[in-house]
Amino acid sequence: MSVLSDLSRRNFLKAFGAVSATATLAACGGAPAQTEPSASEASASASASVSEASASESSAAAAPAAGTIAVCLASEPDVIDPALNSSVDGATMIVHLFSGLSKWEKQGEAFVIVPDCAEELPEGETDADGKITYTYTLRDGLKWSDGKDLTANDFVFSWNRAASAELGADYGYMFENVDGYEAISEMKETGQTDEDGEPIMEPANPDAKLNIEAVDDKTFKVVLSTDVPYWNELLAFPTFFPVREDVVSDEAWCTDPSTYISNGAYKMTGWDHNSVITVEKNENYYDADSITMDKVEFYLSDDANNMLSNFENGSWQLIDDVPTNEIASLKEKYPNEFVVAGQIGTYYVGWNVNEEILPAGTTLEGVEAENARAEIRRAIGLLYDRNYIVEEIGQAGQVPASSFASMGLTEPDGSEFYKNAGDNDGYDGYYDVSAEATESNYNEAVETLKKYYTFDEGTQMFTDFPTLTYLYNTSESHKAIGEYLASAMAQVGITMNLENQEWNTFLNTRKAGDYSVARNGWLCDYNDPISMLDMWITSSGNNDCQFGKGAHASVAAYSCDLTDLGYDLKVENGTWAETYDQIIATIKSESDNEKRFALMHKAEDLLMSTGAICPLYFYTDLYMINEGVKGFFSIPLGYKFFHYTTFEG
Amino acid sequence: MDSKTLMYILKRIVLAVVTIWAVITITFFVMKAVPGDPFASEKAVTPAARAALEAKYGLDKPIFEQYLNYLTGALHFDFGPSLKLRGRDVTAIIFDGMKTSARLGLTALVIATVTGIILGAVAALRRNSIIDKIIMVLTTAFVSMPSFIMGTLLLILFAIHLKVLPANGATEGGLILPVITLSLYPMAYITRLTRSSMLDVLGQDYIRTAKAKGVSERNIIIKHALKNSLIPVITYFGPELAYIVTGSLVVEQIFAVPGVGRYFVSSITGRDYPLIMGTTIVLASLIVVMNLLSDIMYKIVDPRINLE
Repeated sequence: MSVLSDLSRRNFLKAFGAVSATATLAACGGAPAQTEPSASEASASASASVSEASASESSAAAAPAAGTIAVCLASEPDVIDPALNSSVDGATMIVHLFSGLSKWEKQGEAFVIVPDCAEELPEGETDADGKITYTYTLRDGLKWSDGKDLTANDFVFSWNRAASAELGADYGYMFENVDGYEAISEMKETGQTDEDGEPIMEPANPDAKLNIEAVDDKTFKVVLSTDVPYWNELLAFPTFFPVREDVVSDEAWCTDPSTYISNGAYKMTGWDHNSVITVEKNENYYDADSITMDKVEFYLSDDANNMLSNFENGSWQLIDDVPTNEIASLKEKYPNEFVVAGQIGTYYVGWNVNEEILPAGTTLEGVEAENARAEIRRAIGLLYDRNYIVEEIGQAGQVPASSFASMGLTEPDGSEFYKNAGDNDGYDGYYDVSAEATESNYNEAVETLKKYYTFDEGTQMFTDFPTLTYLYNTSESHKAIGEYLASAMAQVGITMNLENQEWNTFLNTRKAGDYSVARNGWLCDYNDPISMLDMWITSSGNNDCQFGKGAHASVAAYSCDLTDLGYDLKVENGTWAETYDQIIATIKSESDNEKRFALMHKAEDLLMSTGAICPLYFYTDLYMINEGVKGFFSIPLGYKFFHYTTFEG
Repeated sequence: MDSKTLMYILKRIVLAVVTIWAVITITFFVMKAVPGDPFASEKAVTPAARAALEAKYGLDKPIFEQYLNYLTGALHFDFGPSLKLRGRDVTAIIFDGMKTSARLGLTALVIATVTGIILGAVAALRRNSIIDKIIMVLTTAFVSMPSFIMGTLLLILFAIHLKVLPANGATEGGLILPVITLSLYPMAYITRLTRSSMLDVLGQDYIRTAKAKGVSERNIIIKHALKNSLIPVITYFGPELAYIVTGSLVVEQIFAVPGVGRYFVSSITGRDYPLIMGTTIVLASLIVVMNLLSDIMYKIVDPRINLE
């Protein structure tokens, strides 16, 4: 998982959403350069397992000192159940309260994955069927916060619960690589139809389980259908954390400290709804001695102004959001306390590929028409000055984006994925986003558009571009960006009206493809480009651009050639399903990491060639932290760690 | 109380129930007609999970059946589980928030009413004095200033610069600033209302008569003048309550007060159907009941008023 939230509380989900959106933009401010390197290093070393020794050394670095820290990440999370949580702030609380097989740790400037409940993180063993078995030995003496023993059976129960359709967790799909998940997610028709005449579906195998097993109390065995290089990182994702069957049998268990039994470095000792959640050191945690902060108070508020007031008067030591319009002055007033951190995610404009943008009466059809649409969309992407957007509108240190896969995603060799994207030298990604290139981009765009539309040399405007509508969810920052995009297009005579919708309606409209152009954004849940690329396959629930859907299903205008990498896939003028879907399927079944990354670049090349994705900037995470706090770190997924902090006010 | 009044009260109660039923019905169908659903999110849940969730919460049933189920539940005061805040019942969520909201609202209500009446009376009795002028200037300011500005000013002054009161409504003493913010507007309004009404009453013949009969000034003010000048104040009781209920939504946000206010908006954006219904029913009932009480009090204070 990899994201950060500028949106601090916010759901990963909601992350870009209503609330968060503001934060986002708002959020990113200051000095991304400082944090980027660590993000990339993080991922570089993340997949390697690290010895326990080095892990404990680093955590022992801060001198133990008693204390309490008060922080405010966001308003109350909907639910603080590791399996059901879908917010970044909720995840932060959960990494304090629970402990999975692995965990994040900061070593030097890098963020690494180290064993937690597991004694070590072994390599998987591949069997004859190509399935991969991981066998974990749990540490001695693992206990729940109420003193009961934690066993491998707890992991078996928790994983099956989290993956089940019955629980309906947003992140249930994170188990997709585990053998048996396919049966869990399979649907069948009930034979009945709903009010719209659509068949009503139900899970085909309600009793299906994951292929995981407790060999004995201390040995937990997992079988994967395909191996993934980020597997160890997934183990540190809250969805994979253990919960105990007798505890969670009552759904209300995670709403009250008296029933909140956990196994992490902290236990919950107080919860005033919508006010504060208090966690205190859990003496039953195996590594309790290295935890320096005794008590963390998570105050619950989503009002950035209120957060700032409490930060400024010293009540809270960390706040995860600041008022957008204060960013500039806060940067000056608190140069050491105002932090902009890297975050893996991209803010972009998405086109509905089924929207006709060719001029009325065009003679183009078939492949030519589709290629023309792609060229036009790409050209319009060049009309925008991304530096203006991040400097004048975002104002929070966001980085102009020239590719969809975000900054912060790294290659096996540790280099940035986005820097290797595209095939042009001289700049990163698919086009040049430097300030110097703004004018040449603009001219190039106009020249391209002239091929398809009537250009009035007198007014320097196109006269027959169909009117577009830009859809965004209601928020000042999204609106400001929309207005800028519209004005940039108006300069060449293209009319783009703005339409805003309330968050939930917006999600619905965008998902249904009932729009022409819409704002969009994505924060990664783990550091691997596939977490951004697989959302564009035809069947994906997040395929808002409608690739391969509706009329686009029969558009045969895409080509791909994987023969140079040794695969038997070469398609010319195929449909989206025959090309993009196939590349993603190939990536998911490939365990050679070098090849996976080569394939992922090809997938992104194809995706970007459609012009339907127009990246604007990479997200950053912004927060303020009291200078007296030492030993704090936050990872590019946005989780904040107070375990090893000390605070002297 | 005569039988006519009782009949009237009874009729009003029946009407109140019908009103609440109408609110439930309209809200239910409008809410379902709005696009979107509680399980929508930027990262889509799998179809299997969605189907399981819909079945679990009965959202897969025909809408009229859902409506009947809801009404049956509501009759037994069972408002169902929240769809977003998993594991929590709507009743518990609202009750939890209400404890704080009611404390905030009632304190503000009492302070606003009592101070308003006293200041209004003082201003009227000391008409055109310097005290009267100060009171009038201040109340004009308070009436014209929206609570979000007033709240922010108080916050900056007392919580950030002077650091004498907390900025967070959840901490000890945290309700002081929200109560002040919330009560200033109705307090100022009541002050002005009492003042003008009192001036009016003080000019009436029966006051002059009382004076001529030698009734002490104190008795004149308390027994005759004040009581009669309170009638407009009582009519303001309904709107005052409505102001406090809606105003607290803003004030709770500014001071991060853990009240019920935030759910009015968040339940709708999240399409948390049971919570939308719950908050709406509570708000509607509150206003219906308070209007009823205000009308009854009206009658008690001035028996001449014909409620029909």
